[in-house]
Amino acid sequence: MSGGPSAPKAASTRLVQALVLLALFGLLFAATRLVPELESQAGTIGAVGFLLLTGTLASELVDIIGLPHLTGYLLAGIVAGPYVLRLMNHHTVSQLTTVNGLALALIAMEGGAELKIDGLRKSFRSLAWATLLQSLIVPVVMTGVFIACKPMIPFLGALSTSAMIGVGLLWGVLAMTRSPSATLGILAQTRATGPVASSTLTFVMTSDLVVVVLMAAALMISRPLIEPSSTFSLRDLETLGHEVLGSVALGTTLGLVLAAYIRLVGKQLILVFLALGFGLSEMLGYLRFDALLTFMVAGFVVQNLSKQGPRFLKAIGEMGSVVYVVFFATAGADLDVPLLQALWPVALILCGSRAVVTWGIGRLASRLADDPPVMRRWGWSGLISQAGLALGISSVVARAFPSFGPGFRALAIATVAVNEMVGPVLFKLALDRSGETSHAPRPSISTLEAAHEMVEAAHARAHPHPHPHTEALPAEEKPT
Amino acid sequence: MNAIWLLMGLLLLSYIGSLLVGGRAIRGMGLPSGAEYVVLGFILGPSLLGLFDRATLTTFEPFAHVALGWLMFVIGVTFGMTGDRRVRTTRLVGGLFVSLLSGAAVFAAAWLFLRFRSPLAPTDRLLAAGGIGAAGAETTRYAVRWVASRHHAEGPVSDLVNEIAESDDLIPILAVALLFALQPPAVAFHLHTLGWLGITVGLGLLLGAMAALLLGKTFRLAETWGVLLGMSLLAVGTTERLGLSSISALFVMGVTLSALSPHRRELRRILSPTEHPVMLPALLLAGAFTDFSLAKYLPYLVAVAIGARTLTKGVIGLGILGVAPAARRAGPRLGLGLLSAGALAMSIGLAFALRFPGPVGGLVLACAAAITLFGELVGPAALRSALSRAGETRDDPPPEVAASPIVPATTSTSTPLPTVSDDEGAVT
Repeated sequence: MSGGPSAPKAASTRLVQALVLLALFGLLFAATRLVPELESQAGTIGAVGFLLLTGTLASELVDIIGLPHLTGYLLAGIVAGPYVLRLMNHHTVSQLTTVNGLALALIAMEGGAELKIDGLRKSFRSLAWATLLQSLIVPVVMTGVFIACKPMIPFLGALSTSAMIGVGLLWGVLAMTRSPSATLGILAQTRATGPVASSTLTFVMTSDLVVVVLMAAALMISRPLIEPSSTFSLRDLETLGHEVLGSVALGTTLGLVLAAYIRLVGKQLILVFLALGFGLSEMLGYLRFDALLTFMVAGFVVQNLSKQGPRFLKAIGEMGSVVYVVFFATAGADLDVPLLQALWPVALILCGSRAVVTWGIGRLASRLADDPPVMRRWGWSGLISQAGLALGISSVVARAFPSFGPGFRALAIATVAVNEMVGPVLFKLALDRSGETSHAPRPSISTLEAAHEMVEAAHARAHPHPHPHTEALPAEEKPT
Repeated sequence: MNAIWLLMGLLLLSYIGSLLVGGRAIRGMGLPSGAEYVVLGFILGPSLLGLFDRATLTTFEPFAHVALGWLMFVIGVTFGMTGDRRVRTTRLVGGLFVSLLSGAAVFAAAWLFLRFRSPLAPTDRLLAAGGIGAAGAETTRYAVRWVASRHHAEGPVSDLVNEIAESDDLIPILAVALLFALQPPAVAFHLHTLGWLGITVGLGLLLGAMAALLLGKTFRLAETWGVLLGMSLLAVGTTERLGLSSISALFVMGVTLSALSPHRRELRRILSPTEHPVMLPALLLAGAFTDFSLAKYLPYLVAVAIGARTLTKGVIGLGILGVAPAARRAGPRLGLGLLSAGALAMSIGLAFALRFPGPVGGLVLACAAAITLFGELVGPAALRSALSRAGETRDDPPPEVAASPIVPATTSTSTPLPTVSDDEGAVT
């Protein structure tokens, strides 16, 4: 992410950032009004640059009032998007989503690499209770809430009771999804370390796998309930088995190859990530493997089966600082504001009840696992955010059930919008309050160079002859 | 060919480009102008083998826009600099004059030829001749660095040629801005060509100044990349939307940023290594877009353009011998040594092909490719010969260079030339 906790910036710096932000909006506003033809590649290129800049600047400005950077990215996208200032239209936004493949690959690899076997062992009890309870109770309760909201949901009007249960079940599983990207985004910004940060990350990454499995099961069960003519089939499980096993196998291979590459070559990881994000993602889609799972396993393997984890994470962090801004700002631009306006009462009820259930189960799981007090208090806070996976599942439902699918998807988008805005704020608040946020300033080049000079001086004292490897490195790669 | 395969191929080229910058093992490999990648693109492209068709190429137009813009931005940031030292004012003016003279001569010859031998309308004729002139104006600095690096050249003549090559980009880039402004976008109001030119330059100035403001006093690497990439993409997108020259706006942006930011040294250090990884895929794409069967008169046009350029460079070489006594030992081949063209010529050609699809863009790109290939055949050999005659080349590398990947400080009065390989970004 851009920035992170850095040394407090002067008021003049903030003023400059605000002015440049306004100037950028003014510039693109003038350009779009001067030449309104937007369905061009130029529009897409400009939009990427614009979202990158305004997202970064907005994140710096919302930081003043303690909001997470991610909120700034989303806000920049919403304001510039097709529903507010219309600086980019739907076509441009859909073109921008091509960056999603790359962003999700980075997010998944980073998430996998953050999972360390030692940490998993230590928090196994906590993770097991949380996974068990969240996977059992959230779908059941949310299915009930969804059915109870039937009078407020237009597309449920014509459905029978059994069909209602089937749709409710799908909603229940959708409510289980979390957002690895938002979690990693906040962790990257805060550089938090502690039980809340690590257990949230571990849970969120593993819960994705659980959701994928449960969704396949939910589809299998709900289909005969929704469409009485169809029969119960185990074929979906077979497909799921192929997807999960294939993804794990490919992810393991990829992780080993990456570890070997980093060790033997170690250069141009950005180009390697680009090739993975665009090329391999495409291939995984063709093979019907799960990209998120594949990349997550790859990251896990690099971290736990080699010594290349730190370098791997550093390279992802450098690239992610740019890619994530565009990814989240695009998500903001893609937010259907009018739909949210139309569905906000029911969306609010569904989000509120999900949050309450998540909070309650979080506390219960912490108590059963005998977690420390800070976990009992804040352990649930990172589980509110929803993003890509929820939208992906809603798209699957929309394709599988054309009769109510589009309405289902619209409601999912509305609830994800609410959770996407509220969740990161809650999580950052929790990390701040639990004292896990890092307050050390990010190193700048000047501090790096100063540190480097100190190391060099010490090295020179110890070894009169220069170290050729160190000299050949660019300054930013030199050890400090 | 599937677009993903083409993307993977371009990434591979980019990877190779990064090795050329960063690796010592293949120092001096490849041709100085990068002409082999143009040829490779031409062979693989729709004109010859057809491994990727025009539709696939079209999907890569945004990549080409961004690559060209980034290249010009980097050239802008390093404009007028040789290593960490500014080019002397007299040589800067000399470089500008050399490019103006070459470009004007090629433009005049191409315009006259097109006037009598082509069916192009007057505006198209002006655009095509102008584009060919702009592409024919430069001497690529890569060739000069390459010769200097491979033959360990050092001395006043090497210095002079290097400084001319480092400062001759401004004229063709501004000419492109002017030419693009001749065909403004369809907007509700009328604005004079100079007004659109002003918008192109003004946009570069504005975004460059904003970037300098945002970078502030403390140089933070992650923030810097975000700002640089964001500003570059925004500049490319905005100028392309308006139908203006993105390469010119980005060049001006780079010059402005370099002038205003206190971090100009750090910027050059982090940006220079990105030049090759972006340039090679761009050259491949340019080669793939090239079509030599565009018009029957194209071979003659190419011959006229190359003839005019060769003649002018020859005259310029004689002029240099006249005004710079130290260069006299190099002999008349010095002018031919200035014939190398490469990244800038091909960038201008590709920019024209993207902005004016059809005969105008096709003619400019084909001529740019021909100028680059001819320059490759003649330029480096002539320059090596001239420098050798001036006594500035060595058969063996100086011991310090062989021992270290970093160009050493020299005790001579001349400035060591930046080498082709790993030193550009790291140390000069």
